Amino acid sequence: MTSSGLTRRQLLRTGGVAVAAAGLGPAVLAGCGGSDDAGGTGGPLSFMYWGSAFEKKAIDEMLKKYGKEHDGAKVDPMYVPVSNYPTKVSSLVAANTPPDLAYLGTGQMYDLAQKDLILNLFPYLDKYPELKDRLPSSYFWYGKDKLAANQLAMGVQILYYNTDAFKAAGIDPAPFTADTAWSWDDFVQAADKLTVDQNGKHPSEDGFDSGKVKQFGTIAPIGGAPLYSLLRSNGGDMVNEDGTKFALDSAAAIDVLKKVQDLIYVHRVAPSPAQLGKNAPTTSVQLQTKRVGMIIDGNWTLLDLMESKVPFGVAVLPKFKEPLTMTGGAAGAIFAKTKHPEEAIELYLYYNDPEHVDLFKDGLWAPLQKKYYTDQAEIDKWVLKDKYPANFKTAVVDTTLKNGVTDWGQQIKNADRIHQVLDPALEQISLNKGAPVDIVKALKPKMQALLQGKWPLQEL
Amino acid sequence: MASSPMKQEARWGVLLALPAIIGFVAFTFLPMIASAVISLTDWTIGAAPKFVGFANYTRMFTADDSFFKSLWATLYYTLGAVPLLLIVAFAVALLLNQPVRGQGVFRVIYYLPAIVPIVANSMLWIWLFNPDFGLLNTLTEKAGLPRSQWIFDESTAIPSLILMSVWGFGNVAVIFLAGLQGVPRQLYEAIAVDGGGAWRKFRHITLPMMTPTIFYSLVTSVIGALQVFVQAAVMTEGGPNDSTLFYIYYLYRTAFTNNEMGYASALAWVLFLVIMAVTVVLFRNSSRWVYYEAGSTR
Repeated sequence: MTSSGLTRRQLLRTGGVAVAAAGLGPAVLAGCGGSDDAGGTGGPLSFMYWGSAFEKKAIDEMLKKYGKEHDGAKVDPMYVPVSNYPTKVSSLVAANTPPDLAYLGTGQMYDLAQKDLILNLFPYLDKYPELKDRLPSSYFWYGKDKLAANQLAMGVQILYYNTDAFKAAGIDPAPFTADTAWSWDDFVQAADKLTVDQNGKHPSEDGFDSGKVKQFGTIAPIGGAPLYSLLRSNGGDMVNEDGTKFALDSAAAIDVLKKVQDLIYVHRVAPSPAQLGKNAPTTSVQLQTKRVGMIIDGNWTLLDLMESKVPFGVAVLPKFKEPLTMTGGAAGAIFAKTKHPEEAIELYLYYNDPEHVDLFKDGLWAPLQKKYYTDQAEIDKWVLKDKYPANFKTAVVDTTLKNGVTDWGQQIKNADRIHQVLDPALEQISLNKGAPVDIVKALKPKMQALLQGKWPLQEL
Repeated sequence: MASSPMKQEARWGVLLALPAIIGFVAFTFLPMIASAVISLTDWTIGAAPKFVGFANYTRMFTADDSFFKSLWATLYYTLGAVPLLLIVAFAVALLLNQPVRGQGVFRVIYYLPAIVPIVANSMLWIWLFNPDFGLLNTLTEKAGLPRSQWIFDESTAIPSLILMSVWGFGNVAVIFLAGLQGVPRQLYEAIAVDGGGAWRKFRHITLPMMTPTIFYSLVTSVIGALQVFVQAAVMTEGGPNDSTLFYIYYLYRTAFTNNEMGYASALAWVLFLVIMAVTVVLFRNSSRWVYYEAGSTR
């Protein structure tokens, strides 16, 4: 997740231009998005997305390939940095010129869907039966027979590590099957061996200087998908089953929060937010430069890691009680205003299909269809042996279905507002501004007031 | 041919001012009217607006903690940044007004930070503020002072941003410098004849003669500081724990993250009224300390 101030400023500017240019038609807007086809008149479809530099390249190529395979159909890519993405979407919607297809964060996607701004895919299910063969957890329903979208792709949390750093620290490769997952203590121990200061001392040794750390063991997973995976592993959760009650104050959840906080302030194997810095480098850069030895992050990071030729391994997440990982992903949606709904659905189906699209082989996405996880011949189509790290199948492919729990954000209502009170509280924990138990206690009434239950699920 | 030269001049005047007038009406005045109307509605982006009367304003004062938090953060910043900025700019302007060798070079050097774009400036200060290897902590450590967490701690975040704001004193210093050069020399000569030293010159000539310039800078700086935004957007994202949730940043978040255009417009109007009230108070009090030279002394 890159977030640089410069791009932010640029985006403010382009956002402003987009609003000002509201009446001037799609060609102008495509120009703002940095379309490659400067000379083109603007294609029938626009595709808005975020991502790293590698992701931008991969998506642009995918869209070109789609054009070639579809009689020169033209798709305008609109790349927007992730840090300002929702703002840009809002500006475009306010200007009444949304893109045709877009990546959308789930909170924003539901918000737009309930205002009927997202194309309901339900009426198209018969005509396009491929829409039905995704993993059930990947659908976003916003009412009875109202289907807003699927996930863009399957996302799953992985423990990545720099293999050179492991060798240098004398650690065996991290476990790559769910049954052999590290306990939390094993994880902390490995992180201690990986953490060295300028004098070569580890945090558990006398004289360790936490102000001059050369390499950290890990980054404390205080937030987002990594934290949620660990909460669930310990039997905790953010909210109760139907999403109406705050649940982060359970003993199991507090235990996880405390242990994660301890990584920074007790074990000293992870940088504090200040040490990590504003605009911190991405996971792949942290691992490549050996600033950090191992990090829990999403599978999409594989793209950058493989493109940058980082010597890295993949492993299952450390466990508390159950070995598990969180699955989920942002939505890939079609805006209701599109003039070409069927073409948009065809592109939608195209980019979800590993048969056509290299993004799966490149590591950015994991497939949404079950067969790509269960059938070896199908697995071989995307998990390329000479490209993917060893043990990817057991560490990631197998655990996605067998040990995966769905992201609580996938269905929760009012998600964006909830995060506006939840995230500062988690930040307090990461800044050591108090015991997790007290911070969570103060958070409870604020977050409880925002809980409105969950969006429905529906059988296909 | 019937029109008199006076009339013709007036016509030309209006014609030439027309672009500015049209610009003001189309891009400032009408949007203001629109936002006043929008502020009375419950309107989220993408949905139809609903008229709700003054509900947005009621909510602000009765049910929105973030509103008060952001108002306080902004006032805190303004109260810290403006006096410090004026004092530093004034001191530097006094120095730059001394006839020394290389005066021009010094003036350029001190003005330079003011032309660094604010985002580049922010990126630079993020590094200076880094608690581990930032320049500021290296300096405080060398001086035997404790390390600070700067923008990474709730209690020091706003003071840090105040410190940073002072770095851009160049614009105000230039205005002061111009003001200093407008102080009539014969007044200094008169005091010299009477045997007054440097302090008397400063206290009884420079300062009183500069009050209109100081007043102007005070008003514009206060208005600018109340609208502080970029530092929060680029450097802190309102954090930690919403401690730098400046008013405009909160307004921006309300409008474009939460999509609540109605509420955001109401917030904008409250800020407008606050700024107007502050400005009126400053003007009302100005007669007590601002000295306007009687027209004919020169």
